[in-house]
Amino acid sequence: MSLQQDSSVDPLQRCPGLSPAGAALLKRMRELPCAPIYRNQSGHRLGAGEVAAVRAHAAALAHASIEPRAAHAAWLPEFFQRVRERVPAQHVRDADPTCFESWPTTCRADFAADIAAHVPDDLPLDRLINFRTTGTSGHPLLLPSHPVVAARYLGYHQRAFRRFGIELTAGRGAVGVVLIGWQERCFTYTSVSPYRDECGLAKINLHPADWRDPAHRGAYLDALAPEVIAGDPLSFAELLQIPCTHRPRVLLSTSMQLLPGLRRALAARFACPIADIYSMNEAGPIAVADSDLGGHVLLQPEMVVEILDPDGRPLPEGERGEITLSGGFNDYLPLLRYRTGDHASLVRREGEWLLLGLEGRQPVRFRRSDGRWINNIDVTHALRDWPLAQFALHQHADGSFDLGIQSAAALDHAQLQACLLQVLGDQARLRIASVAPQSGKLWQYRCDLPA
Amino acid sequence: MDIEGPPLALLTARIADTPVDFLPASGAAGEGTVAVAVDAVLHDLCAMRGFEVPAATFAALSAQGKAAPAWRRLSLLLAWLLAEPALRWPQRVDAVLELLLSRAEELSAQVKSAQWLADEERREELARLALLSLGQRPAGESVVQARDRWQAISSTERARLVAASRSAEQRAREIREALARKAAEESADKWSRE
Repeated sequence: MSLQQDSSVDPLQRCPGLSPAGAALLKRMRELPCAPIYRNQSGHRLGAGEVAAVRAHAAALAHASIEPRAAHAAWLPEFFQRVRERVPAQHVRDADPTCFESWPTTCRADFAADIAAHVPDDLPLDRLINFRTTGTSGHPLLLPSHPVVAARYLGYHQRAFRRFGIELTAGRGAVGVVLIGWQERCFTYTSVSPYRDECGLAKINLHPADWRDPAHRGAYLDALAPEVIAGDPLSFAELLQIPCTHRPRVLLSTSMQLLPGLRRALAARFACPIADIYSMNEAGPIAVADSDLGGHVLLQPEMVVEILDPDGRPLPEGERGEITLSGGFNDYLPLLRYRTGDHASLVRREGEWLLLGLEGRQPVRFRRSDGRWINNIDVTHALRDWPLAQFALHQHADGSFDLGIQSAAALDHAQLQACLLQVLGDQARLRIASVAPQSGKLWQYRCDLPA
Repeated sequence: MDIEGPPLALLTARIADTPVDFLPASGAAGEGTVAVAVDAVLHDLCAMRGFEVPAATFAALSAQGKAAPAWRRLSLLLAWLLAEPALRWPQRVDAVLELLLSRAEELSAQVKSAQWLADEERREELARLALLSLGQRPAGESVVQARDRWQAISSTERARLVAASRSAEQRAREIREALARKAAEESADKWSRE
């Protein structure tokens, strides 16, 4: 992560059109006595026309219907043709352009090999920005984007919040969102969101090293009183340890799987809905967890979702396979049959399209002590009620297991062991250890045994 | 080019009228495969013209062979073209084999399969290439005319490829530089992180 200062010192460059009220809010957020040590500067960098366009985009999203099936997506043929013609990595491919479902897929490795070839060749580059991602493979990757694309995220979040009956109201002078991190080093800044009447945005690091006094953390959150707190399971686990009285209207969890135990602890503490979003830098917010429907509800109207088998063939509705995406809202990285590495099945329930049984990465099989094989989903299921921020299960070549856990609360390891041995087998050798939090996604499941 | 061959129009028309059997769709094995035993077709073509070529010659183009789908498609298209009755084959089969194997492989990496049929200039290039490989020139053209036209048509393609490649390299460099310059965290706000 780059921790360099933004080169432009002038807030009007970072936040064009900044009003006196917006400037006052920025000053207040940075200068409160309990404010953290802000390390960086940032801004939306949107012109007035772009702000209007972002608002219009969010408004159109509010009631747009979702149709993830390729055969029924009216916009797909034109998109497919445009990407074939304008994206260098696609127009050199020798395949049948009349058949979307036989077109070669792409994956993260293709982006890693040559990301420039995936940017349409008719887009200006002067305002190109990057999102840095490490993924589970640990290989950093710079993905192309644009300030307008970054601003579009909010429309998808609002669509997710509406499922819980939440309409955002924070406007001028109020703080819309505080993004919380919990990392050794973290990019931190304050800004305003012009498409929501310059409500405030603060990105802070809950790690004590970023505060003059760690006790300021709760006081600062109370002082800002954000309408939304956004974070990941790691930072939310830390938030649970911090005394603060403010209750946001909604919590937004992204980046990693939020296990039900931690979700319940957050709900009990903050008494507000928790929007658990399945998202990735390559595609933005894809789906939001809905416990009533038992899966993740799709959020992007212009996104085709295919479920593919290991040979790349589309699977019928309801069958489990690799989530593969086409479309999206990042003009600088249009996805064409992008294999995410995540697995689920796609079904329709009560008129909504859902990803069921969402699991990151390839399914991993583990060998029980009685020799039977189980799937990693069984392990996820066994751990679902434990308040874990993160965990990783590794089966070694000798059949023994290591479970690394990261939890806000002190856990009874003996009980956890007994719970897990129910799926790993009574005689399984299992070691459990608390581990330091990983800042990115991690290999949640690994097995060194030959398949 | 010493020998006068059939009229160019006859060959380009034959390419344009290629039967669907010689324009295979993707095979059952999935995207990018060709569902025709190209090696067997080429073997039969040579046999039809009186050359007994060892089966292993076309092994690369067999179902299990290493040939890319575009190469298979172009070799199949050339087989149809070379089967034209008005096209005389030389005494030795070497030149035909070179055309079907190495030249086809090289060209298939430069031009998309569909263009050989869809683009008039590419049809002409293919017809002239076949004649050239057989040591012939189109009927009605002098050796100089045939050579000039061949150089024009193939160099046009080459120049286009070079220019496109230069422009693509420049664009890719600009994208990489722009990406390295601006981290999103420094220049845009998102309401969440991944």
